[in-house]
This record gives sequence, C-alpha cells and structure tokens, in this order.
Amino acid sequence: MRIASPEDLDAVRKIGLFKIQPDRPRIAVGLATCGIAAGGNELYDRLGSIIREGGYDIELTKSGCIGFCRQEPIVSVTIPHKPLVLLHHVTSDTAEDVIKGVLQEDIPKNLALCRVKEWDHITGMIQYGEGFETIPDYHEIPFFSNQHKIILRDAGFINPEDITEYIAAGGYSTAFSVLTGRDPDSVIDEVKRSGLRGRGGAGFPTGLKWEITKKAPGSEKFIVCNADEGDPGAYMNRNEMESDPHMLIEGMLIGAYAMGISEGLIYIRAEYPLAIERLRHAIREAKSYGLLGKEIFGTDFSFDIKIAIGAGAFVCGESTALVASIEGKIGRPHPRPPRLTDSGVWGRPTDLNNVETWCNVPVIMAKGAEWYSGTGVRGNSGTKVFSLVGKVDNPGMIEVPLGTSLHRIIYDIGGGGAGGKRVKAVQTGGPSGGCIPERFFNTGVDFESLLTMGSMMGSGGLVVMDEDTDMVDIARYFINFAASESCGKCLPCREGLKHTLLILNRILAGKAGVEDITLLETLADTIQATSLCGLGQTATNPVQTTLKYFREEYDALIVQDLPDGGR
Amino acid sequence: MDTTGHTVTITINKNQYQAVEGEILLEVARREKIDIPHLCYESSLSPYGACRLCMVEVVTCGKTEMTTACTVRVHRGLEILTDTPDVIRHRKILLELYLAEAPHSDVIKAMAIRYGVTKTRFLKKIVTGDPLLGRCVLCGLCVRVCNEIMGAGAIGFVNRGPYTIVSTPFLEENPACMGCGTCAAVCPTHAIGIEDTGEKRIMRSWSGTPVEMIRCAGCGGYIGPKPVMEYARSRIDPVMAEELQELCPACRRKQVTR
Ligand SMILES: Cc1cc2nc3c(=O)[nH]c(=O)nc-3n(C[C@H](O)[C@H](O)[C@H](O)COP(=O)(O)O)c2cc1C
Ligand code: SF4
Ligand code: FES
Repeated sequence: MRIASPEDLDAVRKIGLFKIQPDRPRIAVGLATCGIAAGGNELYDRLGSIIREGGYDIELTKSGCIGFCRQEPIVSVTIPHKPLVLLHHVTSDTAEDVIKGVLQEDIPKNLALCRVKEWDHITGMIQYGEGFETIPDYHEIPFFSNQHKIILRDAGFINPEDITEYIAAGGYSTAFSVLTGRDPDSVIDEVKRSGLRGRGGAGFPTGLKWEITKKAPGSEKFIVCNADEGDPGAYMNRNEMESDPHMLIEGMLIGAYAMGISEGLIYIRAEYPLAIERLRHAIREAKSYGLLGKEIFGTDFSFDIKIAIGAGAFVCGESTALVASIEGKIGRPHPRPPRLTDSGVWGRPTDLNNVETWCNVPVIMAKGAEWYSGTGVRGNSGTKVFSLVGKVDNPGMIEVPLGTSLHRIIYDIGGGGAGGKRVKAVQTGGPSGGCIPERFFNTGVDFESLLTMGSMMGSGGLVVMDEDTDMVDIARYFINFAASESCGKCLPCREGLKHTLLILNRILAGKAGVEDITLLETLADTIQATSLCGLGQTATNPVQTTLKYFREEYDALIVQDLPDGGR
Repeated sequence: MDTTGHTVTITINKNQYQAVEGEILLEVARREKIDIPHLCYESSLSPYGACRLCMVEVVTCGKTEMTTACTVRVHRGLEILTDTPDVIRHRKILLELYLAEAPHSDVIKAMAIRYGVTKTRFLKKIVTGDPLLGRCVLCGLCVRVCNEIMGAGAIGFVNRGPYTIVSTPFLEENPACMGCGTCAAVCPTHAIGIEDTGEKRIMRSWSGTPVEMIRCAGCGGYIGPKPVMEYARSRIDPVMAEELQELCPACRRKQVTR
C-alpha cells in the first residue's frame, strides 16, 4: 500500500494502534542489543513456547529499549484497559510467572518495576488505563521521573520492526504535512529558529548547515547520516536506531525535502549489526508504503536512502575521513576547506548530520520551533541523550534537557556511585572529552559549559568514576584508545600520542621524574595545537584535565631522585 | 581552485608582498625567500597538510590562529606571522618527535639543528631491518606521486596510527610498480633504496620488487625500466611510438648529430 492521503495514513495508524493495544494481552520483550545481551532472546523464545504450548490468547512481540540497563531484561505487559506494566529482571525461569500473571490479571510484585497509565509520544498520545494501584507509577521512579523524553519517546514502547506502530504513535504524519503543505525554505527557517545544534559533538547550528548546503552550486547533492559512533562508553545512536529507526528516516526525509536533495546515505559501523538490520528493514518498509522512493505521498518529491557500512574506525566519524571511507578510500581526514557542504561525497555538496540531530527534526516540525526551544537553556535548546555508564548505581540511556546539571544526572537519575561508593569525577565526551571532578557537578551539560571545563559534549558518553578509580590510569586508557585509533597521517597525533602513552606508562610504573610531567604537559599542548583533525586536537583532553584537577595523583607517582633523570 | 588571477597584497611578518589570489601561501613564502620549514608539500600534488612543520599564525581582527601554510590560499589582506613564540615552541616539539621517529635521517638532524633542536627527549625508534632505513617521516610524497602523477598506485600506507608504514600491498613484490623511481626522487629524507643490477632494477624499499630493464638498441647498455618505456609508448601518438627507438642518451645524441 502506498500512502498518499490523510485517509491512507489514518488507515495504517488504526492497524498500528491495534497492534500496540490489541483486544487481548500483549507482552513485549525489550530487544535492543543490550536486552539481547542480558538474555532477551532466550526469554523471548521461552515466552513464545509457553504461549504456544498452552494455546494462550496472548500477543508476543519485540520492543526497543527503555534505557534502564540495570533492570534488564525488561518486558512490558499490556492488558486491555489496564496500565502498561514494565517488568524487570525477567528471566527464562520467571517466564511462567509472567504468563500466569498476565492470564490472571495479577502481575507478580517482585517482577513489576512500574506502571504507565498513558504515554505521551509527543506526536500522539496513547491511553492505557487504570488499575494495578499497588505497582509504583512510572513518575515515582527517580530514574524515569528526572528525565525528559523527546528523542526516546517511542523507545521501549513500540516494535521497531513494525512501521505501523511508528505511524500509530504519530509517525510520518509530520513528514506528510511538511511534504504536502510546506515551502522547503520555511522548513529550514523553522529548524533554524528551533536553535537545534548538531548532536555529533561540535554543536554546529543545523538549520544553518542545511541552508549552506542548499545554496551550494550544483543540483546533485547528498545528505548523510553519521552513525559511526565510536567513542568508548557511548551507545546512544545505536539505541536510537535499534529502538526507533523510522524516527531517523522521517528526519532525513524532512531534511532532504527542505534542501531539495534526493539521495541520502547512512554511514554506520559494521559493529552495529542489529541496527543495520533494523534500518534495512525499516527502509524496505518505508519504500513499500511509498514513504521513500519516487513521488513520496503522491507529490513529485523523490528521495532514497542507502546504507554505507564502515569498518569501525573512530576517525571515520570525522567528516572528511567519513567521506573518504564512503568513497572506498583509506579513512584519513584531509585539511578543510573544502568543507563537505562545498565538496563532500564524490565531490558533491553534502550535508552531514549525526543520527540524533536527524531524530530531532520530526518533533521540531510537528510541534514548532517555539515549543522545541522551550526545553533546554538559551543557545542550547532541546534535550540530549546520554549513555550514563561506569561506576554509577543506575547505568542506562537517559535523556535530559540541555543545561541539566551533572549532579542531577549522576545522583538523581544515576543514584550516585555504584554500591554506595563516593563519586570522584565524570568523563564527558569520550576520548575527546575531559574528566570533571565532583566539586564542579553543578555544571550544566551544554556545549559551552563543558568546553569551559576543558571537556566537551562529544556525542554524549558519561563515564562515572568513583573513589577507587585511578585518574592517571584513566588518562592512560583514553590515550591508548586515541593512539591506536589515530589514522597515522599527521605527526603530532601519530607520534605525539604514542609518546604520551609511553610517558604515562613510565609514570604509572613509578619510573618517572618531575621532568616527565613537564614533558607530558608540553607535548599535550603541541598535539592539541598542531594536529590536523579533531581526533588529535582533542585527544589530550583527558591528560590535560586530569593534570589540572587531579595533579596530586600524578605527583604521588613521581619518584623524586631518579638516578640519571629516570632514563 | 579559486584562482582568479587578481594580484593582491598580503602581509607576512609585517612586510607587504604581492601575490596571486588563490595561490598557496607556502609558494609565496618560498618565492619571497621567507623561511617556513616543510616536509610534505609538493606543488604538483593536492594539499595534504600532514607534516605540520609549516604551521604559521593567521591574524584576523587582532586574533591569531594557527594553520598550515601549505593549505592556506592567499586572499586580499591576508596577514601572517611565521615565527611567533608559539610557532617556534611547537615547531621544536615536532622536530623532537621527528628525531625520535626517523633517528637515522641526516636530513632531519640538519633541519632540527637549523631550528635549534639538537637532541630529543622522546624514546627513539629502534631500527632493525627497516626497508626505509629508519629515515621515513610518512610525509606521503612517494605514495602520492605514485598514485596521483604516475597512476601506478604501487605503494600505500599499511596499518594505522603509530604502526603506519609505507609499503606494497601485503608487503609483497608488486608488479604494478614500474620502477620509475619518482618516489625516490621526491623523498625528502632519501629513505627509498633502489638498486640496479644490470638486467634488473630492485626496489629495495618496496618489498624487493624486481623490474626488468631494457638495453640500448645502439650500444647494448641498460638504459631504464621496461614498464616505464611501455607506459611512455602507450601514452604518445602511435606513429611516434613506432619511431621511438630505445636508445641511451649517448647513442641518441650520436644518431641526432649524424
Ligand atoms: C575523531 C572524530 C570522530 C567523530 N565521530 C563522530 C561520530 O561518531 N558521530 C558523529 O555524529 N559525529 C562524529 N564526529 C563529528 C563529525 O565530524 C561531524 O561534526 C558531525 O557528524 C556533524 O553532524 P552534526 O552537525 O549533526 O553534529 C567526529 C569528529 C571527530 C573529529
Ligand atoms: S589528528 Fe590523528 S586522526 Fe587526525 S589526521 Fe592527524 S593522525 Fe589522523
Ligand atoms: S608542508 Fe604543510 S603540513 Fe607538511
């Protein structure tokens, strides 16, 4: 079926709604990579065989990830006219209890995490029902109540492998009204006014980049989605694609229309097989409904998306290396200019945006720039998804307004240090970021504040460190990562990071003197100032911030009177 | 390239110079005898910006920013400083890194001394059996001329990061190599070894790739690699290719003056 009218869209929406809220119980197992790693597939199979053998009238399906990693495997249960209930730590052993509970409309207490009476998909509202008063409400769980879900609005609630469920939650209706009723330039204007900034790390204004690309000479251009996500500890983009792939496709469709571009590419790393599979499936689905391909929604606009798979090099997330990789060349950056907006993929003007940047687009167009910029702080509008990991009590995928303090994220959502330990610092921005000590946790996470702290937003990894963490070792960990991911083209990054690593090893082995610290500082300074691309320019942040905030840990390792200066 | 042919005035170290709009800054500096060290620039190749030695400061509205002179294109009012304390400081560290990376290169040693660096605080690379003799600085000139100018693509970068080396694919003899030796001619540190044994040319640095030599039709002496001759023939007018005789320079001179 090809969707070409509001009536068509409505018909599909009804089909999807009936899947989300069937006239019989529905059990959905959270099956993103994290859920699968926690045993989700076995659980799914076990539930399936119990239902089959018992001949029960229960719908079993998959969902994306709600983000509460600590509680995996997570299962959601909907019984008609009752609240949706999230179950946690469900295993094959407790699968029988789940089925029994669903059949008797009595959810086992020990398995219930919380209930959801109604869910705001922002592009649509779903009412579940009343009841199960003894189970805590969703809003009573601090991990959830302190979040603000815009990008993750569907994650964990819909089946990511079924386009009708995305449409039931209001999906593609924004693209429909944009493509059939809005002037492309006014779309760019709306995105500009929303204040949306790139979520890939640098925070470049998205609307402006679109405008530059549109104005670049030439008729054949590309839009590209950067799904390379290679920082250790970051998995936001993976989860967004695994839990809600159509949100990305809808965002790219609207962007393509605004810029008048008919070819799109998603550059994704091979290490994300499930995300690739779900994207491919979603693209096929979108094509069969006439949402990608020729004459979309019956208009004369055509747009198609292809997937380019990268071999998983961190540097290939850098824009010019990414283009080289797409073209089948070695993934090495080149000096800019030319910028991608002038000469990108195959020399054509190219707009490159991060996965999450694209995911912001449908909701901006659905609710308008004013609504969107009402969230966040001045100059940093909207929300940001973070992966909160490391030594934190509640690790998970979270979403908060930009400007939210680190304190609120780490203590109110994350529950503080794992096992009650004292939190010492947090690393933001992965290998390009820095370590921010606990005394500065009132810092709000926005692009500028993090830079002032010597760190950066990066794509959104937050790695928590507690009192047992050795900060010099942390610096070594990140430098080791950056040195081995360096492409090897320019000297300061290739050789400089190697020597930074050697010096850190010497310090940690107790074989370094004061002059080694001086050399470490001087070298870091030069690498930052002279490297060709962002990898080298930011790679020393972990060293510089730990030197700045945790100098005493370095000093404690220094040998005062080394014979022969330590060498 | 956005060369428009306009002549513009630019400022380097407070002095004014004329230059063509769109020209590479490093070219202007070379012409005006303003010293900027560099290792990876070659005017016939596209900008590369890897050695980072040519860092200079660009002054815009009173603020300075570091960039590489080999990638900056000249425009009206461009203001450059080539020897600020920052530039000098970073240049010295880079040279120390080069001394550690290519410990056997006399060219690097001489260059370091010229800029006041006599020794390195970094651990020197241990060189054993390196086909590039502990002299390679990975400027990429050989790889780029082989690819961009000769169109052979016989050599490339192997591995990445600190493990990067230049070699043939799978470190094996590569029949794509024509033995032209352009790589050795552009190498700033004389790292590439070529050995002529008579009927064979051995590319020592390129996995020992052997290349067949041709003899002079006149005197019978070896005059050059056969693939280069074939390549040249394939690129010229067929009639001329027919007439092209394989002669050494001495015999050709004799033939012409006869
Ligand atoms: C070493 C390096 C790695 C990067 N990795 C990513 C990445 O994985 N994903 C991403 O979206 N941007 C990454 N970036 C940033 C991109 O170069 C680019 O700025 C971004 O994709 C632009 O999209 P945005 O404007 O939507 O943020 C990386 C940059 C550098 C220097
Ligand atoms: S900074 Fe590192 S990754 Fe970037 S070009 Fe230089 S060597 Fe390659
Ligand atoms: S000559 Fe400019 S970076 Fe090498």
